[in-house]
Amino acid sequence: MIGMIRSEWIKLRRSVVWLLAAVSPLFVAVIGMVELEKEADFPWVAVLSIASALHAMLFLPLLVGIFSALVCRYEHASGGWKQMLSLPVSRMQVYAVKLGMVMLLIAVTQLLLLLFVLLLGFMKGFGGDIPWSLLMKSMLGGWVACLPLAALQLFVSIAFHSFATPLAVNVILTLPNMLIVNSSQYGPYYPWAQPMLAMMPREDYGFGAFNLSMETLFIVVLGSFCVFGLAGLIYFQKKSV
Amino acid sequence: MTTNKETILETSGLTKKLGGKPVVKDVNLRIGRGDIYGFLGPNGAGKTTTIRMLLGLAKPTRGSIRIFGKDISKDRLAILRSVGSLVEYPSYYGHLNAIENLEAVRRLLTVPKNRIDEVLSVVRLTKDAKRPVKGYSLGMKQRLGIATALLGNPELLVLDEPTNGLDPAGILEIRELIKSLPKSHGVTILISSHLLSEIEQMATRVGIIAKGSLIYEDRIEKLRERSQGHIHLGVSEPEEAWKLLSASGVKASLVEGKLTVAEKNNAAIAAIVARLVGERHQVYRVEEEKVSLESIFLDMTGVEGSL
Repeated sequence: MIGMIRSEWIKLRRSVVWLLAAVSPLFVAVIGMVELEKEADFPWVAVLSIASALHAMLFLPLLVGIFSALVCRYEHASGGWKQMLSLPVSRMQVYAVKLGMVMLLIAVTQLLLLLFVLLLGFMKGFGGDIPWSLLMKSMLGGWVACLPLAALQLFVSIAFHSFATPLAVNVILTLPNMLIVNSSQYGPYYPWAQPMLAMMPREDYGFGAFNLSMETLFIVVLGSFCVFGLAGLIYFQKKSV
Repeated sequence: MTTNKETILETSGLTKKLGGKPVVKDVNLRIGRGDIYGFLGPNGAGKTTTIRMLLGLAKPTRGSIRIFGKDISKDRLAILRSVGSLVEYPSYYGHLNAIENLEAVRRLLTVPKNRIDEVLSVVRLTKDAKRPVKGYSLGMKQRLGIATALLGNPELLVLDEPTNGLDPAGILEIRELIKSLPKSHGVTILISSHLLSEIEQMATRVGIIAKGSLIYEDRIEKLRERSQGHIHLGVSEPEEAWKLLSASGVKASLVEGKLTVAEKNNAAIAAIVARLVGERHQVYRVEEEKVSLESIFLDMTGVEGSL
């Protein structure tokens, strides 16, 4: 298992896609820099709202798709699947490590976001203590809420040989987010909307699907992760390469 | 000869259907230790499909595969630990250099790091090892593929069309490399090709597959024997000569005035000639007509097979 993770790392580390992980947090920081008033009542909450609207609603789902496609790309490109699966490795392990890599990249993105938000806070001189619990809940919640989407996008990325197809699917299904997050009925079940629902600070906003309790959201998130993950794994187990 | 050798790989009734159509039908392969087994067939005959099943990349519709005495459907990981393979075209990660490519594979095997230098020197890529593989020529990629296959010190090496797309020098190089392996490393090799001339120069045993069925499997010498042709006799009165020979128990045929005998060994031919001369026939010519292996192969696989 450790060998396989290191093997994946060798393939990943030379990729420029790493830079993408920094783009979205940087965006949030820049917008925060321009938009935020120093005198805002709850500056940390305001930053998180910007982060949710920009990063979690748009960039994060897109990044999940890009990372999923990336970890499959070099396997699709020149017969990597064939080579890897004719080595003594179990397909379940390969699948788990690929999914793990996607989630690792998402974790890096979330950590960068946290870092940039803190930097913004210092630069703007936000008053009061840093609300660690609020920040951590948002970052970690956003990360966990990416699980079902990662499983789904990994499924699509394994199934399609081309790099563009899974990305196109992802973009098309990310765009309706703006509408879907407003629906308390569909929002929680829509994998592309879940990261935003999880990252939004709950204290003072409460419309549409945001009324939902964290517990309900995470039951749905973990439930759908199991379903998508299992479907992807079964497909991968049976796939001829 | 091979029957008393330990069997490394054995398939029985191996069948694969794709969309209801059998691509591989009832194939029974048998490869002994130390063999260089040439797996021959025209393009689309089912070679790659068979090889993918041998490696567990695709599941057979029917039939079983035993490698090192273990069933691939049960002990896939244990088997694959001792198998090195190169399927169809070389697999590589273009953005990485040769060392990184091999390292990515080595992490999945349990071999020491210096194995990378060893295999690189076997395929003579040491000099170019630090360049990204996407800039390699096809021959170099092919050699890297072979290096990757050798990395885990395999007992069985499966090479699918390893000389595909190479120039003559590259083909020669790969051929010499493959021939040297069983001697220097004690490896058993399964090598597929659509070119008989390729296989003929390396293989100790051959299996010929056409339209999904294994139509021939034996030592290469047996195939060569078939290519020893017939002896034609040019005589003054072919018909009389034919009658004379037939009457004295020699298998002879007369087609369009051309007298042909089935005997091949020198003493028998000499006796036939002596007999004819004794009966006052004039013998003008005694010539051998060779059937090329290529045409035997074509006959077996059907002319519509592309070669």
